[in-house]
Amino acid sequence: MEDGEVAPAGVGPSGVSPFVSKVLAPGDVVLDLNSANKVLRVGSGLRQDGDSILATKVGRLRFQKQSNKYWVEGSQKRYIPNVEDTVVGIMVDRRSEMFILDIGGPAFGSLPILAFEGATRRNIPNLQVGAAVYARVVNAHRDSDPELSCTDASGKSAGFGPLKGGYIFECSTGLARGLLNKPTPPVLEVLGKSLSFEIAVGLNGRVWVNAPKVTTTITVSNAIQNSEFLSPAQQHIMVKKLLEEL
Amino acid sequence: MANNANAGLRITTNERDFIEAAIKEDHRIDGRTPFDYRKLHIKFLREDGSVEVQLGQTRVLAVVKGEITQPYPDRGNEGSLAIYTEFSPMGDPAFELGRPSEMAVELGRIIDRGLRESRAVDTESLCILSGRSVWAIRVDIHILDNYGNLVDAANLAALAALLSYRRPECTVGGEDGQQVIVHPPEVREPVGLIIHHIPIAVTFAFFGDGNFQVLDPSLKEEEVMGGRITITINSQGEICAVQKGGGVGVSASELMRCIRIASSKAQSITETLKKAVEVHEIERAQRKIRRHRNLPTEIEAEVEMEEAPEVPEAPMASEPTEPEQAMDTERDINDERMSDATQLESNEIKNADAQVKKSSRAAGEKDIFAGGESAWGDDAKLTPLKGAPGTRSSFFPLDSDALVEFDVAAKAVLRGGVSSQRMSSKVVSAPLQRQISGQIAAAAVYANQSSAHIAEEARSLGPIFPRVADMDSTEGIVSVEGTEAELGVLGNSTLETELVNQSEDKPLNFLSSGKKKAKKRKSGGVRQN
Repeated sequence: MEDGEVAPAGVGPSGVSPFVSKVLAPGDVVLDLNSANKVLRVGSGLRQDGDSILATKVGRLRFQKQSNKYWVEGSQKRYIPNVEDTVVGIMVDRRSEMFILDIGGPAFGSLPILAFEGATRRNIPNLQVGAAVYARVVNAHRDSDPELSCTDASGKSAGFGPLKGGYIFECSTGLARGLLNKPTPPVLEVLGKSLSFEIAVGLNGRVWVNAPKVTTTITVSNAIQNSEFLSPAQQHIMVKKLLEEL
Repeated sequence: MANNANAGLRITTNERDFIEAAIKEDHRIDGRTPFDYRKLHIKFLREDGSVEVQLGQTRVLAVVKGEITQPYPDRGNEGSLAIYTEFSPMGDPAFELGRPSEMAVELGRIIDRGLRESRAVDTESLCILSGRSVWAIRVDIHILDNYGNLVDAANLAALAALLSYRRPECTVGGEDGQQVIVHPPEVREPVGLIIHHIPIAVTFAFFGDGNFQVLDPSLKEEEVMGGRITITINSQGEICAVQKGGGVGVSASELMRCIRIASSKAQSITETLKKAVEVHEIERAQRKIRRHRNLPTEIEAEVEMEEAPEVPEAPMASEPTEPEQAMDTERDINDERMSDATQLESNEIKNADAQVKKSSRAAGEKDIFAGGESAWGDDAKLTPLKGAPGTRSSFFPLDSDALVEFDVAAKAVLRGGVSSQRMSSKVVSAPLQRQISGQIAAAAVYANQSSAHIAEEARSLGPIFPRVADMDSTEGIVSVEGTEAELGVLGNSTLETELVNQSEDKPLNFLSSGKKKAKKRKSGGVRQN
């Protein structure tokens, strides 16, 4: 990749960056804004530097046509908060106006006490220290603490809020993202065929699993953790083996 | 609010409840049963006395060092053993540099009690001069990765390190008989410590009201547990130490149950440890063979060639570091040790050697070895190697003659394409042939030759002869009767004319005299000896 030079003028037939789905390193120029004549959304792992967009993380460049959004997808153990990410946080402290959650990033996130569906001053959710919460990142500027919310944009809970029961395990951000992919990953598919469970995937590398039986939860969590570097066929085999031992 | 210190594992109430509920049903979060150990892997590092132990994802490194010091005044004829622990943040973010935490001190104490106070390591044998000089043995335990149950892993690492440690041998001498002479390892083989028994630490974690126990807790289980107990026990069933540090109470019957389980686990772990140490001993013995210096690097050998060897680059540059010394040694060896391995060389090698060296040697090295015709004649009798099969009982350790022989074989292999099976010379006795072929096979694998059957044979011989791998195929190895291609590179016209009749595929005989061969060649064929 070039060294800080401006991207070639012929950026692509429709002004799309030629590096989509290619692996980038920090400093690589993704797009020259002069040649792309649309309004763009710059997602995580990218930043604007004058007339060009540079990558700041290692990963593959992704592009979404509907929203005209570029972002860089990489896999790390450590989580860097980005807006609109859904994360699993752990309550560590309660302040007067907010709950402090550990989301596994460089700083703790703050969750306003009214950021729940149907929450009023009289009706504050009762979260204890050590509770697991499924929340959405509202604000994640580089220099300030991330802000969270347990409602979606319209104020409905949409699955956010405290998580009851279940078990949580850690994984890399890449695996977490993979679990949320549109064609369901093979590991979840095969597991889902024979077991009934529910999961909440946090893009901060935390996954919450719940099932009526303890053995199911254990099997599901181990299967997902094992599946990170396996091919689809290997994932099938691995899950089948685990299910046999159940 | 900007406090981002991830001080230790943060665990949710969800997980806590789940882990406890699962254990009450005899399930553990990683799929183990309550009294299952995680996978144990013991890795001995290069230096004697350094070991890395992996118990699941927990990794611990132990290093043993010895030093001669003055003994304690009240224990004048005993050496000392000291255990030090290092809990760096590399192993766990909760560890802090500086003062050892309570857990670190406790770990050190448990291991110390198990090893020292139980007299596992014999300290009286560490005495050199009573009241004056003793060995002080120091075990440094570094936590590389904390994933639960550091005590067991660290104890095993310390044990394995002590079992594999070798201290230099020392004797008392001098005029007054009071001088301690420490012999370097090259002069005298270092000796191991005397270890009377092997105390294995087995740790249990308690949950609920103390009525649920699990063995070898992982990190999350340690976070959730109500109490723990470590029982240090050896395979004879002798309890060396018991440590229960606070936490929930446990009844006497449960304690006895834990002790029984610990006893049986200790036996199986002792077996594993002993096996690992044995394998390491064998590897180390094999490695020791290569500790000789100043081996001749210029000895040529005629060996059978299966296919065209790698074309060696230009001249027979000897080892770049010590060309002249090598030459000298070779000459010495040629002169003095005629009854030894060098007899395996043909006379013509020495002749042609000289010729080739004359012609192709790089400027500045010419004619250091001015061989000339051999004084031995065609029918040099070959007497068996000193220490040939029949005169020594075991293959290892090889003595210096065999080392030279090995060198010969190794270089032949490095030239490429040596078959260890095609040694048909009648002059070599069959056992010797087998031995040599074995060595060639060994050399092959060490030189990473890709020949399949060599690799198979050599695989059974075991690992690591580093110097062979260092040897460059360009190091002064010239086959006198190589294929035309090879010799063509050398550009030695005299040799070429001699060998022009030889076909490329004819195997060469390992031990035949050169002159004879030359004659035979002119008559259009190589006599198969």
